[in-house]
Formats: sequence, structure tokens, C-alpha cells
Amino acid sequence: MDTTVETDPAANDRTLPDERLREILYLLKLSRYLDERLEALYRQGRLPGALYSGRGQEGTHVGVAYALEARDSLFPTHRDLTAQLTKGLDLNRVLAQYWGRIDGYLRGRDGNSHIGDWDGNRTFAVMSHLPIAYPVAVGAAWAYQRAGDGRVAMAICGDGATSNGRWHESINTSAIMRLPVVWVVNNNQFAYSTPNEKEFAVPTIAERATAYGIPGVRVDGTEVLEVYAAASEALERARSGGGPSLIESVSLRWRGHAGHDPAKYVPRELLEHYMLSKDPVKNFEAHLRDRGVVDDAAITEMQSRVEQAFEQAHAFALDSPYPEAGDVSKGVWVEDGYWRAEPGRGGGTDAG
Amino acid sequence: MTSIQMPQLGETIVEGTILKWLKQEGEAVAADEPLFEISTDKVDTEVPSPVAGTVTKLLVAEGATVPVGTAVMEIDDGSASDGLSAPPASSERSMGAAVVAETPAGPVPDRGPRSQILSPIVRRLAKERGVDLATVAGTGEGGRITKADVLAAAGGPTPAAPLGMVAPPAPAVTPASIPATPVVPVPPSVPAGAGEDVQPMSHIRRAIAGHMLASVNQTARAWTMVEVNVERLVRLRAAAKDGFQEKYGVKLTYLPMVTRATADALREFPLVNSRMQGEDIVTPRSVNMGIAVSYDAGLIVPVIKGVDAMNTAGIARAIADLAARARAHQLQPEDVQGATFTITNPGPFGSLISVPIINQPNAGILSLDAIHKRPVVVEGDAIAVRHMVYISMSWDHRLIDGELATRFLARVKHNLETWDFAEDLGL
Amino acid sequence: MATQQVEAAAAGHGAEPRGKRSDDGQATYLVAIAEALWEEMERDERVFMLGEDIGVYGGAFKVTEGFIERFGPTRVVDTPIAEETIVGMAAGAAMEGLRPVAEFQYSDFMSSGFDEITTVLARYHYRAGVPLPVVLRAPSGGGVRASNFHSINPEPWFAYTGGIKIMCPAFPSDAKGLLKSAIRDDNPSVFLEHKALYRRIKEHVSDDPEALVPIGSAAVKRAGDDVTIITYGAMVHKALEAAESLAGRGVSVEVVDLRTVYPIDEDAVLRSIEKTSRALVLYESFRFLGIGSEVASIIAERAFEHLDAPVMRLAPPNHPVPFSPPLEDAFLPQVADIEAAVDRLSAW
Repeated sequence: MDTTVETDPAANDRTLPDERLREILYLLKLSRYLDERLEALYRQGRLPGALYSGRGQEGTHVGVAYALEARDSLFPTHRDLTAQLTKGLDLNRVLAQYWGRIDGYLRGRDGNSHIGDWDGNRTFAVMSHLPIAYPVAVGAAWAYQRAGDGRVAMAICGDGATSNGRWHESINTSAIMRLPVVWVVNNNQFAYSTPNEKEFAVPTIAERATAYGIPGVRVDGTEVLEVYAAASEALERARSGGGPSLIESVSLRWRGHAGHDPAKYVPRELLEHYMLSKDPVKNFEAHLRDRGVVDDAAITEMQSRVEQAFEQAHAFALDSPYPEAGDVSKGVWVEDGYWRAEPGRGGGTDAG
Repeated sequence: MTSIQMPQLGETIVEGTILKWLKQEGEAVAADEPLFEISTDKVDTEVPSPVAGTVTKLLVAEGATVPVGTAVMEIDDGSASDGLSAPPASSERSMGAAVVAETPAGPVPDRGPRSQILSPIVRRLAKERGVDLATVAGTGEGGRITKADVLAAAGGPTPAAPLGMVAPPAPAVTPASIPATPVVPVPPSVPAGAGEDVQPMSHIRRAIAGHMLASVNQTARAWTMVEVNVERLVRLRAAAKDGFQEKYGVKLTYLPMVTRATADALREFPLVNSRMQGEDIVTPRSVNMGIAVSYDAGLIVPVIKGVDAMNTAGIARAIADLAARARAHQLQPEDVQGATFTITNPGPFGSLISVPIINQPNAGILSLDAIHKRPVVVEGDAIAVRHMVYISMSWDHRLIDGELATRFLARVKHNLETWDFAEDLGL
Repeated sequence: MATQQVEAAAAGHGAEPRGKRSDDGQATYLVAIAEALWEEMERDERVFMLGEDIGVYGGAFKVTEGFIERFGPTRVVDTPIAEETIVGMAAGAAMEGLRPVAEFQYSDFMSSGFDEITTVLARYHYRAGVPLPVVLRAPSGGGVRASNFHSINPEPWFAYTGGIKIMCPAFPSDAKGLLKSAIRDDNPSVFLEHKALYRRIKEHVSDDPEALVPIGSAAVKRAGDDVTIITYGAMVHKALEAAESLAGRGVSVEVVDLRTVYPIDEDAVLRSIEKTSRALVLYESFRFLGIGSEVASIIAERAFEHLDAPVMRLAPPNHPVPFSPPLEDAFLPQVADIEAAVDRLSAW
């Protein structure tokens, strides 16, 4: 089967008006800036917890999430923060979560990258065991099918997670039941330090779709519109009762697995090639400039909005109090009402 | 018998090797004489004997390596051995028993191996209901005071009025061998009617009642009797009593002679001198003889400590002293503690045969009943009139068996029938 | 009985569980469970069932026989053999407002879905505030010669993780009332049905679809004064048998059936200890870290001053359940073992 998709961005962008293209660029730039600033803060010891960089994969994250409707659900991993922001999460609350504050989405109950906003934006709070969210996506999709309401579930995982039994169980079950779900694999070519060829024996992940009886495509994850086109098609298929699809979006992980990982296992030449010629943010900006969708002024304005958004969110996070220690064991059972009420705000900040 | 163990020569040493036996079985050995050569990680040396005697057993072969504390040799030194010198390896086991033994004997008298265990509910109920645990004898395993015991002492499960049930004022003696308030749940009482006098039981009476019942409940009581020809004793006493009274100021009765004979038998058969402690048998190396004394308040059992080292005269004086002080209510607590065996003497009151109740925690109690003249068969199958007495013993079958009990009594009988007490009386 | 059959037929419900009651109207433990499921499915459209072989086949133990005919394949879902996915599906559906009841063919297979149970189900609400009203049902327990992989008591695995309510009823009426409560509860729960009791125990159960047994409440199944046995599941019946025999010897035993093993009804346990002062904790989950270890700890912590003897436990050892009858009998506490333990406890 032909697993390649048209790589000409121009072929895809006729479906999107300029305003939306600019929106996509904003999200790409925000994502990149966020990644750079958080990395700097982490290295300065001013960011608690861990940091999982999505740099270089923004095309995948913005591409798939931008195609979702607000009523669809997203099941991301720790590296897909950009996808969650694209889905609609508030950067203020995202950073509050990074700093473990009460205004974070999980009220300080889980790690900074374990973000999710089910009630507001239908994103599943990230969990470490991969891909533990895949079976849950099966359940959500099944609920949509039963209701016949046209909603779709989308789950993202990395190339490494495709080795796990849950990956196979979930795709298999979704195929048997012909569920409205899109399975996205962010193949950034390295699972921590493990390269693709040690993670699976077939040349591509996409071709495994055949084994489950569903369509699979492989796209260039550094080309946001290519990803967007594939995602749109898969969503349309699911929405109309055509069942699940598999999208393998290929890019490179520019940084280590986490902030502490220098990633010396990534071959130098490969990294340089991607950073120079396959930068999803730079390439898309250049493309929009070429098309006249943005100019210098627009870019400057956009960048300044990005930086402002970050500064504001950072300030918001540091101003937000810590959770109250006495609340530590609340919220296990639904009936204690902890999650249905506003939480206590007496936990203080670092300033006092 | 003394058991010789592999010594620990050095803190971290855990075993030693017998290089060479310097004494063989049957050989005599003097105190401090070398018994064997050993080799350990730290030192090679000779081990001297702690006692004088005869080597009876070599338990380990030359060249064998055994853990520290292992018994390697036995020496017969004429001592009443404790027989169970526990090697360090069994410290775990003896700790179990020791936990019971070492529990501080606080306000609760030592009436059994588990009489010191006070469970949380027992302590609480005692406090709430005003029950003095010192006055409660336990019906639980090993003499433990149970919840039911406290409730019964308090007058039942419903909170009872404290009056009358609170412990009476402590007597001059806090006898170890006399527990107090009976702890059997009182059966539905038959109210006193007209023509009946009602009197509350005295503290001592209640103590005796509890002790007796506990003894009967806890021991596997068996009983053996021997018939003793005391003709010689009777004649001796008749001849010596005046002189004895003059010399020592006390009356000479048969009790001291029987006590002397019994003490000797207890040395010969040390298990009859022992007691149970948990699942251990504790055998003291000396004999403390309890002598039952009847007095106005009832019964008390003062103790002659180390009676096995005394002669008959000394015993007679001790008995007289203790009996006098008992009747005068002047016994001290230590006077009534520590008996390893007990003798009761209802004979003077006329009983022919008695079945006494064991004085816990002893293994046996000997009864000296009345001496009567009886026609008996003597040498040559002739019939003669002799002074005879039935001496019996109630004994605890948990500790001793019939053969031992009988041989013990036979020894007492032998002593009484063959000894010449004249010299022992110091006359 | 004849009346009931006619009713069922008239309504088109040929296999309604109530029709499976015995002639005297009693329901077995299994039928009582089926009745609970049926009534809750009828009451609330959001309730649905999923599991292996539960639909067309009617379930490995035939608990769900007749259900797919009545409720259809979207409410009685046959899944592939994929325990992680079964649990995940239940979680995802619950997050979208449905109330799934997932069946495991044997409780032993819950370990195949262990990650989704302990990582997603147990933790999601605590960390993100989204209720997951999922019920996981499974036949558990041994004593039926089913050996290693069909006899486990998994409740300690899930009690440990927290966040999941765990029920182990011993009687049909408790099973029915508790399962209904579990389905209506907004928290995830594990409902363990002791397979030895499925067809061996029967009693009259309520016809009232609103008759619930509250989660987290124990029940005194036999009153007594001398010794308390705290227990649950199939062991309750062994305890009652032992108690009857002991009564003949003058020992009065009180049997407390926990019914819910997480959370434990501590007050009920303590009330009984206050009365008897002697506790035997009898449980079929393994001795080390089994449910009874927790009960014993609670008694020691909270009832210390009521105790007249140490707290005793009786439970099988921590190793696989053997097959050969004398081995399995030696493995599980038997009535004679319970009597002997009570004797030791009484004599302390």
C-alpha cells in the first residue's frame, strides 16, 4: 500500500483560510518559545519536576490537534503539551500546573507534564505508563458510537509505546468494533535512547495498520499541513462511521527524552539535518511568508504576543498558591465533594 | 550431675573443636583439673573442670567441631543438677519462658507461670470496678487472671457496688502461697433464711478458697500412699523428748523427723522438688520445705529455707519458730514464699489417711497422718503390734509419673524405718 | 413459581433471572447477582455490561444468560480477550457519562488488566476530579478444585492501591443489594463473587428494586458473647458452621461478616470486640497482607483496652492455590481449623 502523502504544502492549504493559517503559525511559535523558555528555567533549577521537550515535533502536535473539533476527545502523552494547548488549554493554568500550584489543572495532584482538562477541553490527564490511555480512548470512542453523535476520540503515543501490548489490544478492539477513533503515533525516531529498529521489526509503523484491518498513513511530521490533512481525513472517516485509522507522523526528537537526558545517542548528522532543514516552525513561517499570508510586522506582532502570553502565564503560575497540605487525602471518593468545590487557597507561594 | 559445655573464648567465636580428651569416662577429676583441649579461631587451650567428681559421659568425639554452648561432657559430682543447663542456642526458647518469669511481680502475687499477665481489659475493668487484682486468683491458663475472673470478683458483668467487693485491708503478711478472693463465678446463691447466720468470708478464707480451687483445677493430681513402721521413732521420741525440750526449748514431735527424711528423699529425687514454668521444668538446687500450719485464721504454710542442709534438731526448732509466729500473726512475707515442697500434718488431729491438695506450684505435698498401733506381720511371718503410720503424697502427674512418686515415698519410708535419728537430734 | 414464569413470558423476558428462583421463591447467590444486574440495567439506560463471552454465550458461569436477548449488543458487549482494554474501555465510557459493569471471567484474570485498574481507575479521580463509575465483577475464591489460576482472592491487590471500593458478599441478599449499590456508586468498585457460593447458597431476596445494601457496612450474622470471628466471603459460612458446633460445647461465638472489605466497617468490628474481648480474624485472602491483616491491625490499634487475648488470624499461606484435594483442603482454613483456633483463643 502507498503510505506516502503529498508533500506539497501548497496542495493542502487551499482548505484553510489565512486567518486559520496564522493561527497555526502562532501555535507553532508559542510551542517553540515555551519549549525554549522552560528548558532555560529547568537548567537554572527554577522549574520543579521534569521537562519533556516536544521541540522539532510541533508539526505533529499542532497538525493533529488543530483538526479536532471541540467536542472530540484527545488522549495525549507527556510530550504532547502543544497538542493540548492547540485543543484549547489555558497556558496560565498549564504553567500553574508546572509549578505545582492550586490553579494547575490537577490541583497539584500530579506531575507538571501530566496535564489534562477533561471537563473543559476533553483532554485526558497524561499518565506515565504508555500507552495506558489507548484503552481508555477505546471506551470513549465506544460511547460516541453508541450515542451516534459523531464525536471522535484521538489518541497520541510515541514510537516506543507501539511495542506495548496495550497498543495492539486497543487498535485491534477498535477495529473489531469499527470505533470512531484516530490512532496517532508521534514517531520522533527515538524512544528514550531506543531507536526505531530496536522497537519494531517492520520498516514503518503505518504498515502495521493492515494487520488490524484499518487504513494507515505515514506523514512528514515536520510539515504541519501534511499532518493536518491526514488527520482531517482520518477524523472524517471516523465521524462518518468508517472506523479507526492509524497515522504515523515522522519527525525527530531534538532534545533528550527529558531535561536530564543529553541524548548523545542521536546521530549528529541526523540532528543537524533536521534542525537545519526540517524545522516545522521555521519552515511553516517561511511558507506563509512566501504565500503572503504573513509579513515582518505580522511576525513581530505574533512573536510579541507569544512572549507576552508566556510572561503572563509564568507570573500567574508563581502568584498562584500551593495546594493546602491538609487537603492531601481529599478527593479520593467522589462523595467527599473536594473536586466539586473550589479548593482552599491558603497554601501560600514561594514569596510567602 | 554437671554438664560441661563448649566455652565461648572470645566475643565473635561461635564454635570450637575438641582436640583431645584429657579425661575418659569413669575417670575421677578434681576441681580445676583440665578436662579437654580445644581449638577455636582465636586460641587453642585446655578447659579446666568446674567441679570435682567422676566423668560419666563424653558426648562428642575427638576432632569434632561444635557450636559454643554444646554439652560435650557430663561429670557426676553428687550435685542435684538442674539437668537443663540451657546452651545459648536455646536462649530463644528460654526467652519465651523468661518473658513470663521476668515480668515484674508487681501488685499481683506469683501464683502460676502466667499469673503476672494482665491483659488490657483486665487492667481496665479492675480499675473501673475497683477490684484489687492482688486478691484475684486467675482461672486462665497458667493462673492468668481473665476478664471473667475480674467480672466475677467485681460481682458480675453489670457494675456492682464496690462495697464488700473491694480488697480488704492488707494483712501483715502478704503470703505468696495464699491467694485471696475466690474467682469462681458464684453460683446463684440460696439466700440466708431464718435460723441461719450469715458472716462474710475473711480475707484469708477467701484466699485459701481461691488457692485450693486453683490448685485442683490446674494440676493433674494423683495420690500415692505408703505404710511406715515408726516403732523405732516412737521409742526414740519417748526416750529423748524431755532432754530435747530441755536442750532446745521446743517440743520434739515426729514432724521434724519426717521433714528430715523427706528432705533427703527430695535430694535423691530432685524432680519431686521441681515446678512447672510454662513448658519448662525448674528444679531448684536446694529444698525449701513448706510446713502447713493450722491457726485461728485458717491455714498458712510457712517455709523452712534450705532444709536439706539442716539436721533434725535444727528443723524442729525452725518448725516451732515458724508455727509460733504464724499463730501470733507475725510471719514476714519471705517466711511464706519459695516453698519447693510441702508437708502437712493432720495426724495429731486423728486422721488416718488424707488426700491433701498440692500447694501450688509444688510438684507434690506429703501428708503425715496419725500414728496408731496396729497388728502387723513381722519377720518369720509372726504377728506383732507396732506403731504404724500412713504417709501419703498428692502429686502432680504433669511433672512426675507414678514410678517416681512411689520410689520417692519408698525412700521416705526407708529413711524413717532405718535411720538412727538419735545422733541427728544432737543429744 | 408458575406465576412468575407466566409474567416473564408475557413481558417477553423469557430468561429473566427472577424466573430462575427455586420453587419456594429463594434465589441462589448467582441468581441474586443476575437479578441485581437486570434490575439496574432496566432502571438506568446508562448502565451497560462488557466482558468476554457474556453476551451470546451468557457468561462463563451463566450469570448473564438471557441478557443480550433483552438488552441488545450495545448494552451487553462481547469483547476480545484483552483485559487491559476491557478496563480501559470501561474507564473511557464512564468518563463519557455511561455506567459500565465489566466482567472478568475469573478474578485471576484481573491481573491481566492490572495496570488499567490500579493506574487509571484507582487514581484518576484523585488526580483530576473526573468520576469513574465503573464496576468490575469477577468470580473469585477457591475450594472448588479449580486450582492455581481460577481460585484467587485478589482483593488485597486492589485494596492496597486505594481509590477502589471492594465488596465480597457472602449471602445472596447481600450480593444483590451490594451490587446494586456498587452500580449506583460514582466511584470505581470491584465486586467479587465467591464462586463456591454461586449455586450452593440460596435464600429469599428482596423483590424491591430499591432494596440496597450500603457499601462499607458489616453485618453480624450470628450473635455471641465469648469470641468474635471477623470474616467475609465463603469463610463466613465455615465460621457459622464452626460456631454452631462450638455452641454445643458451650462456647458462644459471634460472627461478623464484613461484606465490604475496602473500606472496612471499623465500628462494627470494634463493637463486637467490646462485647467479647477475643478476636479471630478469618480470611481467605493470603495471610500476609491479606484483608485480615488490616482488620487485626485495626483491632490492635483501636480496641487494645478491650482485649483479653491476642488477636488471632487464620488464613491460607502466600503461595499458589494447589489442585489435589488433600492439598487444597490443607491450604484453606476448614471448619475444624476454625474450631481449634477458637478453642486456643478461648483458653488463652
